[in-house]
Amino acid sequence: MSPEAQIHSTKPAAASNLYTALLAIAFGVVLATAAFVAVKCYFIYETLFKIP
Amino acid sequence: MSNLTKILIVLLTLSAILLCGIVVTYVANADNYRQKYASLNSERDSLEKDKESLNNQLKEKIQQKDDLEKSLNGQLSTLKTRADDLQAKIDTVERERAELLERVNGWASITKDFQATTEKQTELLSTAQEDVKQLKAEEIKLSKDLEQTSATLIEKTAIIEAAEVEKRRLVEEKADLQNRLDKTMQAGGKVAAAGTPVTQEKGYALPAQTTAAAINLKASVSEVDAKNSLATISIGSADGVKEGMKFHVTRGSEFVCDVLIVDVDTEKAVGVLELVQSATGGPKVGDNAATNL
Repeated sequence: MSPEAQIHSTKPAAASNLYTALLAIAFGVVLATAAFVAVKCYFIYETLFKIP
Repeated sequence: MSNLTKILIVLLTLSAILLCGIVVTYVANADNYRQKYASLNSERDSLEKDKESLNNQLKEKIQQKDDLEKSLNGQLSTLKTRADDLQAKIDTVERERAELLERVNGWASITKDFQATTEKQTELLSTAQEDVKQLKAEEIKLSKDLEQTSATLIEKTAIIEAAEVEKRRLVEEKADLQNRLDKTMQAGGKVAAAGTPVTQEKGYALPAQTTAAAINLKASVSEVDAKNSLATISIGSADGVKEGMKFHVTRGSEFVCDVLIVDVDTEKAVGVLELVQSATGGPKVGDNAATNL
């Protein structure tokens, strides 16, 4: 796609759905890990950020 | 999309999966420090309670130990006192035992001496019994002699009585013959003279005649104690004065009193006044005193 065509198009489109899916997987893995750690921390220490 | 972007996306995805897996694994296997803290805290509390109770028990034990120590100290002092008393008693008993042993030894020696004396006395007794036997035999012999002598004496007495009867009869015959002779001779104016018997009369033993010698001590009164009726004369035992002698005190030719000597010294003697003649005024110093007037 040429730069002119990009300037003129109004709706962006993914270059490749595969790599978008990979990014989504990576994001989901990170999110799940953060949630797991938060849940674990909450159940163990009953708080997320304070030091008991 | 460039290839580099694609590679970065793939690497990002892989690294995210890897790191998240590591984090999940670590968090899943991490220790529950809060639970550990709580358990340790409760354990510490229980240990502190145990410590407190043990401290209380220790204090009680210490108190009991102190009480027991005090009571034991008291008992120990009492026992020490009793031990001292018993030691003193033991010393006393040992001393008494030694004294008793000495007395036993003394009594043993005394018993030995007594046994020896008893044996000697037994020997003397046996000797004395033999002497008694001999004396009894002699006594029996003397009794026989006495019986014989008594029988002889009775015979002699009977002979003497017969002789006296004969003598009395002869005296009567003599008196009768004397009367007849007197009557016969009175007619002629004569009297029969007393005849001399042919047989001499037996003499009898007379007591020996005792002669008394005069003492002849002369002295003078040297001191007079009229209140106690005492007088002192000027001679004593050196001149032969003895207790119980009696001195006659004279003044000139007058008899004054007697002095009965009761105490004799070497050069003087003291006596009690007797038969004091009140007319002479009693004895005075210078009066003569003599045993013989």
